[in-house]
Amino acid sequence: MEVLEEHEEEQEEEEQKDKELKPLEISDKLEDLKTKESVEQVCVPSDVPDFDWSSIDTSQLPSSYKTNSQNEEKLLHIAAHFLQQYTHICPDRKPLFLHPINECGVEPSSLYSPTTILKYQRGNCFDFSVLLCSMLIGAGYDAYCVHGYATREICTLDETLEECPLLRKPQEVPKEEIKKSNKYRIKSPPDLQSKFELQQKAKKAKKAETEAAQKDKERGEEVVMEVEKPKRDPLNGLRVHAWVLVLSGKREVPETFFINPFTGHSHGTTDEQFLGIESVWNHRNYWVNMQDCWNGCKDLVFDLSDNIRWEVMLSGSNKPHQLLPDAEQKNELPDNDMDDMQEPEDKNRSFDMPPSWVDPIQISPREFETRCCQGTKVTLYKKAKLEKWAPYLNENGLVKRLTIYADAECSEVVEVKEWFTNREDMLDLREVNKQTQLTTDYFSPGHRFHLKAHTYVWLEPETENTMEFYNEARVDGLQKRVCSAMEMTEYFVGRDDFLHVRYTEFGKRGKKVLLAGMRADANARPIVQIKECFHRNPEKPADEDVAERIFLITEEMIHLTYHLKDNYLTASQKDFFKIPEGEIRGREDVMTPDMCITYQAGFSKEEKLVHLYKMLQELIEVEKQLKEEVRRSEAEVLNILKTRENEENSIKLLVSIYDTERNEKRRQEYEAMKKSREDDLLGQEGQDLDYLAPFLLQTGNTEKMTKAQALRLRNDCLADLKQRLVNKANIIQARFDKAVEELQKKDEWFQENQDKLSEEEEEEFLTRYSETTFLIHILSLRLRREKETAPQKYLALEEKLRKDPRFAQHLSHA
Amino acid sequence: MSQSHNSIEPNVIDDEMIQKAIEEQYPEDIGQLAKKEGTDFKDVTELQLSFRNILQIDNLWQFENLTKLQLDNNIIEKIEALECLVHLVWLDLSFNNIEVIEGLDTLVKLQDLSLYNNRISKIEHMDTLQELQIFSIGKNNLTTLEDVIYLRRFKNLRTLNLTGNPLCDDERYMLFVVAYLPNLMYLDFKLVSDSTREAAALEYQDRTDLLEGEEAQVLAELEEKQTKQQELEYHKTAFVEYLNGSFLFDNMYEDDTEAAKLASLPRVADLLQEYREEFVSVCENLFNFGLKEYEKREAEVSEFYECRNEALTAHQQESRKLILDFENRNKTTLDEIHNAGSSDIAESKRAEYKADIHQLSEALMTLEILIADQMEELANDFKGNMAVVASTFIENIKGIMNQCRDLENRHHEKLLQICITTLEKSVKNELEEDLPDEVRMLLVDKNTIVNAANVSHGVRLRKIDMRESDIFTNTYRWQASVTEKAFQNEVDRNREHVKEILQYIDSLQEELHNMETLEPME
Repeated sequence: MEVLEEHEEEQEEEEQKDKELKPLEISDKLEDLKTKESVEQVCVPSDVPDFDWSSIDTSQLPSSYKTNSQNEEKLLHIAAHFLQQYTHICPDRKPLFLHPINECGVEPSSLYSPTTILKYQRGNCFDFSVLLCSMLIGAGYDAYCVHGYATREICTLDETLEECPLLRKPQEVPKEEIKKSNKYRIKSPPDLQSKFELQQKAKKAKKAETEAAQKDKERGEEVVMEVEKPKRDPLNGLRVHAWVLVLSGKREVPETFFINPFTGHSHGTTDEQFLGIESVWNHRNYWVNMQDCWNGCKDLVFDLSDNIRWEVMLSGSNKPHQLLPDAEQKNELPDNDMDDMQEPEDKNRSFDMPPSWVDPIQISPREFETRCCQGTKVTLYKKAKLEKWAPYLNENGLVKRLTIYADAECSEVVEVKEWFTNREDMLDLREVNKQTQLTTDYFSPGHRFHLKAHTYVWLEPETENTMEFYNEARVDGLQKRVCSAMEMTEYFVGRDDFLHVRYTEFGKRGKKVLLAGMRADANARPIVQIKECFHRNPEKPADEDVAERIFLITEEMIHLTYHLKDNYLTASQKDFFKIPEGEIRGREDVMTPDMCITYQAGFSKEEKLVHLYKMLQELIEVEKQLKEEVRRSEAEVLNILKTRENEENSIKLLVSIYDTERNEKRRQEYEAMKKSREDDLLGQEGQDLDYLAPFLLQTGNTEKMTKAQALRLRNDCLADLKQRLVNKANIIQARFDKAVEELQKKDEWFQENQDKLSEEEEEEFLTRYSETTFLIHILSLRLRREKETAPQKYLALEEKLRKDPRFAQHLSHA
Repeated sequence: MSQSHNSIEPNVIDDEMIQKAIEEQYPEDIGQLAKKEGTDFKDVTELQLSFRNILQIDNLWQFENLTKLQLDNNIIEKIEALECLVHLVWLDLSFNNIEVIEGLDTLVKLQDLSLYNNRISKIEHMDTLQELQIFSIGKNNLTTLEDVIYLRRFKNLRTLNLTGNPLCDDERYMLFVVAYLPNLMYLDFKLVSDSTREAAALEYQDRTDLLEGEEAQVLAELEEKQTKQQELEYHKTAFVEYLNGSFLFDNMYEDDTEAAKLASLPRVADLLQEYREEFVSVCENLFNFGLKEYEKREAEVSEFYECRNEALTAHQQESRKLILDFENRNKTTLDEIHNAGSSDIAESKRAEYKADIHQLSEALMTLEILIADQMEELANDFKGNMAVVASTFIENIKGIMNQCRDLENRHHEKLLQICITTLEKSVKNELEEDLPDEVRMLLVDKNTIVNAANVSHGVRLRKIDMRESDIFTNTYRWQASVTEKAFQNEVDRNREHVKEILQYIDSLQEELHNMETLEPME
């Protein structure tokens, strides 16, 4: 009997759970204890097996967790009958997972309430499924808990055979080629080679290739087979698992799918890893699968209203007991009332699932953020390890790390990827290639230098490193800068001058000793050449639009190449030879024809020396600016490297101003604000009225008062107070007088009519009389007090006025 | 100014003056160079001829590319001889003695025009200066405030200077100008304030609204006319102009007195109406068919050119690769030859380089011949296709035109019938209708009336024939020109390419040759 009760409890727990968490309704899971045990045996995931479940604390749980209500008792009976009937009809099937006990029923083989699971962040697949299912139903999905069978990998949360989802490559969409009419086709030149020879050659090559490929394949296959083929599982098909089924329809779910509660991944219903379904349930009902699962879940039909395929426990009839004798005719029974929500008429007849006994499931933002137990989680995938941390858990902002190994044994690291959040330096992701030792940092927009990515081996100047930038944010449109010891290449995007590449070559430093008085950049690397490439400027004719200009600085030469004209093969070119500065004075002519060699594609026109000279001068000016630009770039590189080093050495994390839990400063501000607001509210009552305000209004200008004005103001103010006090006293006096008069009148009346009065009237009079005397007494008291306090009030105001800052300069000594 | 031109002889713009002006514009070093070398006037974009006592503008026609011309502070009396300076953007004629605005019609790019301090009394002859942004006409003799309205046509006018004209004394001056030129930002060197603008709008709203309405109407009419013109152009390119409607039909009856007479015969009016409807509908068919065919032809042509361009691009890339390979290979060759240790090595290298140049030349030429062949074949295909397109089009047109002729023949038969019955009635004096005398003249005997009908019929058939042959001529002309163009393009391209290759090879060889001549000297 006891055992039964426990079952009952269990089952009801489930039901109640659902209804109490109004949005979070769950299924009524009526589960069989025996199954439960087998579940326990098989289904312990890698989920900290050493956790002592007997240590959990149930004393905090409300009484609904521990006792059964009337309805719950009733439901238990129904369940018991259903089970009996089921075992009668299907003796060879496993018992159903109906009414297991909950955590308050001590036994370890039980179904725990989501409250406990959430609290300890531990559980088996059933626990997780129930919790997840509750949340999904609460969010409006048509979700069900499933009791069934799955492969070893699913049941034991073994993902080592799967590729890490972060490494999966997006499927390439084949580009559709635009079909062109072949009306006009260029005929290819006649092929003069012997076709036969070619064929023979191709044959030979193909043969050799296939042979080689086959060998490779065989060898490869062997290896792959060894590594990748999952070991044959002796328990295949016997491993019990629980997961969540989401039916299509609600919340725009397009098709039915499974969710594995261990990973949270969704699977199609045809997934081969799910081997069969025993039963499904939600907060309303319990369905037993009557379909054959020889082919896994592939052929299952998830139309739960089909009562041939799905045997329902609560058929909606008010006498579900009758099911037992009429077992054979069960198919004829009306089963459309299963969904009692849809048909209110049936609702009356059907048995109402008792409300859930579980408290509303609550997940605080903090818990949500923490996600895993202790905020950390490690998942092993095929040749990869994924570690996760909750935000702010690590001081350097690390939240995710993926380590990729070369081998299945995870001994040789190929690449490490680390994800960060909330970094002040906007670092997002760091990839370290262990083979090349190259590190690549990726940044979110907002870094001081608009960095987007930075690839380096060491954070040292004049070493190989590549910086990418958010070019939209930069004035110069710089998109990428590749630096090495002797070179620097900068790539630009979207510039008005159509520049897209600037390449600088440096020479070796001279061995000059740095002398005092030399310019600061004297030790800079000498620039050998600067090359700039430009896109086509459509506004200029092609042979006036420079495509590439090279400043050969050491050779005193400038080389221009223009864009190609339409259908032209050669580009116009110009070579300028500069006159060395030393020679320039002695020369008679500033420009001679041999200073510029021109190759003009197509027709050539004579160019005036004036024109060329102007051009040369412009170019010399450009060269000067370019040198400065290059120096600036170098300086920026240095600056960035230094900044990055500093940032890495003292990592700071950003906290949102809305995150009052972490943002200490903000919280203080907030609390101060809240407090001051409260103070304001309180203070409003006790706050003194500005006694001067009405008088100040009369005088007008309050900023500058003459002494006379101040004195008058003070006197007015005091006089006013005096007047008010006198008035108040007068009012009290008047009332007092009136009361006394009334008393006298009543007294007179009483004296006159004393004999005629009845006893009652006399009594009434007496009470009235005593009331009036009491009033007189009070009024006299108040009058006296008023007289006493009035002078004090007057003096107090006088004192206050003297101290008032507005009178400070006039009255302080008065 | 007035003092100076009394004492100094008036000048004429001559070569010497121009040359001097140009030299003065350059900095010293370039100036010398320019002097030595001489300047091509076509290259000059700016010219300053201020303070030179010029009386008459002349000799400026060579400055085709001039964008800025300063002729201020002279004694010019007439704006002339500026017609050639069509690229002028900036023209300064201030401080002269000009009396009439004229001779600016061709300067359509003009943005900044200064006529400050002259003797102009009317704003006129500036309709073509649609780009005008800055206009200075202060210190002149403008007297009528309404003249300002003329400036409304310059949509880009932002700055206007009118100070020192008699019309400025009008008390309405400021508000009037701002109201009629609402886009003006600066008036008389001052920013037009919003408050002024509002006051002006308030004051003159009614009148400006009226004016705007008129302007809008004129604009709309103009636009409509333009669209019509464009449509007509489009129809013409499709060879079916004036076929969408009754133009052709009306044209057939135009000037045909016989037909007009016959039309007054009983029942002919109905017959004509019916005939007209049928005929017009056939014309519509013809018209729509023409437009459709036009689109098809255009698609065909553009397909050809697309394919041609694709092939040319491929060819260009291929040749370009050859050249780039060559250049990369021989980047340092010249230096190597130059720095070669012994003359033997230099000689062998030179020979090697020469051979390489020759090889490149051969390869480029081979490619060019290949593409030229392919292009010619392509052009021939195109020619064939165009011929087919044209002949199909003409066949179809013929078919539709025959429908027209059939209609005409049928109509003619019916008309003849009516004529004869009317004649018979007339002979029997049974004619009910009262016919005009000239028609009665026709009803004398059978021959007369049949002749009349036949003549009119002949006229109409001829008109149909003429329209048909128009279409044919246009089509053949189009076919010829489009084919011709395809071939001509190819010929030009081929010629240009061969020239380019030769030139390139020449330049390479010349470079090598220069080295050879240099070397012995060293």
